[in-house]
Amino acid sequence: MKIINQLEFRTIIKVLKKGGLVIFPSDTVYGALVDATNKEAVTKLLQFKNRPPGKAISIFVADFKMAEFYVAIKNKEKKILTELLPGPLTIVLPSKHRTDRRLESEKGTLGIRLPLYNPILRLVTQYKKPLTATSANLGGYSTHYSIDSLLKQLPKKKQEMIDLIVDSGKLPYNKPSTVVDLSEEKLKILRYGDLNFINTKTWISSSPRQTKMIAQYLLKKNLFFCRSKPLIFIIEGDLGVGKTIFVKGLGEALTVEKIVSPSFVIFYEYKIDNHPFAKKLIHFDLFNVSDQEELSSLKIDSLLAPSHIIVIEWGEKIGEIFKQLKEKGKVIYLHIKYQKNINRRKIIVNEVI
Amino acid sequence: MKILAIETSCDETAVAVVEDRRVLANEIYSQILLHQKWGGVVPTIAKRAHQEKIDFLINQVLKKISIDEIEAIAVTQGPGLAPALEVGIKKAKGLVGQFKKKLIVVNHLEGHIYSPFVQNSKGNPKIEFNFPYLVLIVSGGHTTLVIFKDHLQYQVLGETIDDAAGEALDKAAKLLGLGYPGGPVIERLSKEVNNQDFFHFPRPMLKSKTLNFSFSGLKTSFYYFLRNNKARKIDLHSLASSFQEAVFDTLIKKTELAIKKTQIKKICLVGGVSANLYLRKKMRDLVKKHQGTIYFPSFRYLTSDNAAMIGVVASYKSKKGLFVSDINQVDRLPRMSL
Repeated sequence: MKIINQLEFRTIIKVLKKGGLVIFPSDTVYGALVDATNKEAVTKLLQFKNRPPGKAISIFVADFKMAEFYVAIKNKEKKILTELLPGPLTIVLPSKHRTDRRLESEKGTLGIRLPLYNPILRLVTQYKKPLTATSANLGGYSTHYSIDSLLKQLPKKKQEMIDLIVDSGKLPYNKPSTVVDLSEEKLKILRYGDLNFINTKTWISSSPRQTKMIAQYLLKKNLFFCRSKPLIFIIEGDLGVGKTIFVKGLGEALTVEKIVSPSFVIFYEYKIDNHPFAKKLIHFDLFNVSDQEELSSLKIDSLLAPSHIIVIEWGEKIGEIFKQLKEKGKVIYLHIKYQKNINRRKIIVNEVI
Repeated sequence: MKILAIETSCDETAVAVVEDRRVLANEIYSQILLHQKWGGVVPTIAKRAHQEKIDFLINQVLKKISIDEIEAIAVTQGPGLAPALEVGIKKAKGLVGQFKKKLIVVNHLEGHIYSPFVQNSKGNPKIEFNFPYLVLIVSGGHTTLVIFKDHLQYQVLGETIDDAAGEALDKAAKLLGLGYPGGPVIERLSKEVNNQDFFHFPRPMLKSKTLNFSFSGLKTSFYYFLRNNKARKIDLHSLASSFQEAVFDTLIKKTELAIKKTQIKKICLVGGVSANLYLRKKMRDLVKKHQGTIYFPSFRYLTSDNAAMIGVVASYKSKKGLFVSDINQVDRLPRMSL
């Protein structure tokens, strides 16, 4: 067993090619990675995990093209797939049996993961074949967010089965992925993770942390727009529903800290450091704004430049300016709604075209 | 050294002349009536009102003290509303250029921190500085706990991570249909029911051991409470009073935690919400319990925004030679921190 702290892809790929077992960080927990098409490697993984037969294991893919080679995707599913992925989700589809059959469920389906997580994406892209996407814990034990905690749990014999550990420190406490079954007529959620939804436009949050994760997921999926135009989030929702929490989530993903409610001063501007193309986060709160004249004098239009991320709370008040935003930027309109359960929120997302 | 100070960070246009800690002339034009109909401070209306009033106010103070006697101009650089700050800064730069004076920039929060030590023209009250102090700034825009270590030296212990306490009160007032500004109405309604706590709304962040504040969760539970009890006719008094109690209780408990952590027992309560007499009473009781001393802004007008406190900070800055060397480099800082 060897431990490295850097993403030495050549070393890692060498180990995988020989059928080795690699412990690797992911967007959720530390994972146990082997070549999903290598029979001996999969045998080793199943032994390591004490995995009973018939219990499926998902695979990481690099892109939609790779996904299509390993699972059957019909047009209808393809649309949902492209809307949901990449993200912390596992999508279950009929397998084309090109990976080891023991990774499939008894129904012959296979779970695919296309995470919003560069180290995994780069590794799978360079390896050119899918890797197993399963947590590094033993069957029946809890998942791991650090290598220390993993090694503490593993008996020596199990430790010896690991060929390489890539230690990237303590991972944030994200739940394992949400598992979505698309193999049958109706979409079914098999396991709830941090990113939950009713359909591809309607997300469910059960905590401020999950609201932040939904914010970060939507940001990462849309951030590339910022290269050519401003990315604009308009947020509608009642007092206390979590609008500022959503913005804090965006901020954290952009390394902007200490975001507070701008109601009192209408807007705050934050500089984004160390990002290749996103430069400014501008946080509006129109709570105290009540007429069009007032709005137009805020000069929101002068901020409509590429590299700007503009978030507008109480966005339903935006009125005539909406047209301008739509013409010059990529607008994502969100409605955060209270639910019966005091901790729960529904977040309805509409991309404005 | 006599200093002319300008403050336009939010909805008060204010000009003052100070010498050391003494206020020789002081003018404030409150825009509250202008903003009332909007239910909050509207930046561009604030900007226009500042522009309309500022020359008049400057002329008023210069009638008392001639411009020749004044050596420096002080101005609030932030935090505050960007368009509003801009008016004061532009005016200050203009005066500096026209009359060849020095420029001093001041953080609005420093002004509030110095507000208990501001004296009238006769030099009263005569409180001597005896550092350090523990300062709680509470207003519509800020909720911050600071150690005032020495002149111009501050250490922020905690601040709000979402809404300011005054902002939370304003928003609750809006939900209750009470108009703007909400704080004073809520204070009055609460007093009429002896500030009782009828509904025990949650006290945000009390479990956390940090000195940060958060009021968004309280807002949420208040919203739910109103929604779930729509059918029942609950009177406004008990709602206002219970909400205010939840906010104030949080302020008191966090201040107590700060006293325990720092062992500083000289407490200053400053900022707009420090005008609330019930909060003053609660804070007085807390300080008594810890055998400390409490300080409030030395005059009533010093609770809200004013230029006198800005001028006093500028006096201490001038003593250290903290003048702006290149006025072209001075720009508004809406999120300036201490």
